[in-house]
Amino acid sequence: MRTGDYKQSYGELVALIDSPPVWLWSAVLLLALIAAPFVLNSYALSFLMIILITVTGALGLNILTGYTGLISLGHVGFLVTGAYAYAVLVSRYHMPPLVGFLGAGVVPALASLIVGAPSLRLKGLYLAITTLAFSFIINTVILEMRWLTNGARGIQVQRPEMFGISFDSDAAFTYLCLAIAALTLLGTLNIRRSRVGRAFVAIRDNDTAARVMGINLHAYKLLAFVTSAFITGIAGALYGIYLSFVSVEGFPFLLSIEALAILIVGGLGSALGAVLGTVLIVLLPEATRLVFSLFSAQMDATFATGAQELKSMLYGLVIILFLRFQPRGLVGAWHDIKRAWVHWPLRY
Amino acid sequence: MQYLIQLLISGLAIGAIYGLIAMGFAVIYKSTGLVNFAQGEMTMITAYIAWTISTTVSGNVFVVAIGAILAAVALGLIIERLVMRPMLGEPVFATVMVTIGLAVILRSAINFIWDAYPHGLELGMGRGIVHLGGIGVRTGQLAVIATLLLLLASIWAFFRYSKVGVAMRAVAADDRTALLMGISATRVHALAWAASSVIAGIGGVFFALSYDLSPAMFQLGLRAFPATILGGLDAVLGSGLGGLLIGITENLAGGYLGSGMKEVAGFAMIIVVLMVRPFGIFGERDIERV
Repeated sequence: MRTGDYKQSYGELVALIDSPPVWLWSAVLLLALIAAPFVLNSYALSFLMIILITVTGALGLNILTGYTGLISLGHVGFLVTGAYAYAVLVSRYHMPPLVGFLGAGVVPALASLIVGAPSLRLKGLYLAITTLAFSFIINTVILEMRWLTNGARGIQVQRPEMFGISFDSDAAFTYLCLAIAALTLLGTLNIRRSRVGRAFVAIRDNDTAARVMGINLHAYKLLAFVTSAFITGIAGALYGIYLSFVSVEGFPFLLSIEALAILIVGGLGSALGAVLGTVLIVLLPEATRLVFSLFSAQMDATFATGAQELKSMLYGLVIILFLRFQPRGLVGAWHDIKRAWVHWPLRY
Repeated sequence: MQYLIQLLISGLAIGAIYGLIAMGFAVIYKSTGLVNFAQGEMTMITAYIAWTISTTVSGNVFVVAIGAILAAVALGLIIERLVMRPMLGEPVFATVMVTIGLAVILRSAINFIWDAYPHGLELGMGRGIVHLGGIGVRTGQLAVIATLLLLLASIWAFFRYSKVGVAMRAVAADDRTALLMGISATRVHALAWAASSVIAGIGGVFFALSYDLSPAMFQLGLRAFPATILGGLDAVLGSGLGGLLIGITENLAGGYLGSGMKEVAGFAMIIVVLMVRPFGIFGERDIERV
């Protein structure tokens, strides 16, 4: 009988994948995702694209809020900066898309140094408020810099062509999103098990203690900001390409809330949680619509007229319910289920 | 000079509205230790209810005022009982996220129940113009400044002299000791939510009176936010005065630097305030024990 997972060395504890079944299922998932564009129709494919882009952004926020414990209410600011950096470089100055993606990462990372600087003095709520203020300021800056950003009119963005491959079709673009999302996932998982990741988590758990242990708070907090903004910026560029149009209205403040909702629903501080949370939050409105339409055509009509409102109400409700009843998120629920499965009928 | 005075007066008027909402933030922060991100939405609901009363029941000022205050009290109590009380004892991050979730729900509920078009709150007053030394001022603007000053004075007296006010300060200072002294913390929290809802609601109704009701009104909460930070999150009176300062700053920035600056002047200001004096002008410095 299996009695539990015993880790006997530090290497086993930090292993990326700790058991053969996880290898197998990860491979199956990857193959399924690769096969998906051939199987799915374009409606379902658009959901897959959104999920992959959102996963990238959520993983970016997860580094800052999940690992390092610095709450950001203004992550949409990095998202919009990344999208604009890409749009300006590629559509306006006709740079190669690869340079555009690099810029989409680097520009928000530089901006995050400015936003991150107050974090050296501020904690918790006050930092959240600073990031909130930043996201409003960045919108105004973009609207005012008309010579560069076209102001409120926005910038048209084409699907890119890189390495001699055109990402014009939906399937090809999905592969691009998949590649970036997979790389980000691998990257964040590896950050988590490195020296840097352990420093982040130490800061989250108790920053005074972390400092006593010899962690340079300033350097690591700024590093968390820069890494998080870099990843989020690239997600922003992808989202801009997906919308094929970059404007301030395309990135409403609600996206910041949605990103936090994803982390809470998935389970704070876990890469798997970010992925699970994204899938749930992105598919939730669609799933609700399906359930409603099962009941009656009339409810379906109500949903169609007030779709946007019901969608945001659902976000709010899901955030509150998860915080109230399952604060550890889907990952926590998954752990509980696994434990119950192994130990049944015993409790421990 | 004329232009400057005009800007200052309209800045004071909008600043008084920010001040009222900022006091709402501070009342809740002072007694429960959390920032209520749904303040703007609660303000907005009260204003919409006032508008509904004025169009369906009666346009009489007193009927609308009493109805709106009762509705605000009920709203505050319901939210405290159903949403916030179960979160008692949870980490601050979780509780604050709950208010954000609540904000999203309330905002969409407003769009769902009422419509997305702007409405004017017509009570047959508040839009008339009085001339003060050659400068036209709306009566509503004068009324809101007067209301703010009146509320500031009465709240100061309430916290200073009344038994309930002292109990609230005790809970804010140290809830466990307050509990041992026989003060019911939950009752104090409920009172704080109701009071905050009413104070902010008054601001909302005045806003609707001088400007218009619209779904974008929830932004009032975000605009009033810098006021609380400036005055100090735990300083109720300071927040009220902070509102006036923010209102003036915004209007001067908008008048002399362009309308884009008006939008962000408050936010730029809080970043500076947070860097220099994170606890605000009138707030108390947090002392952290290891």
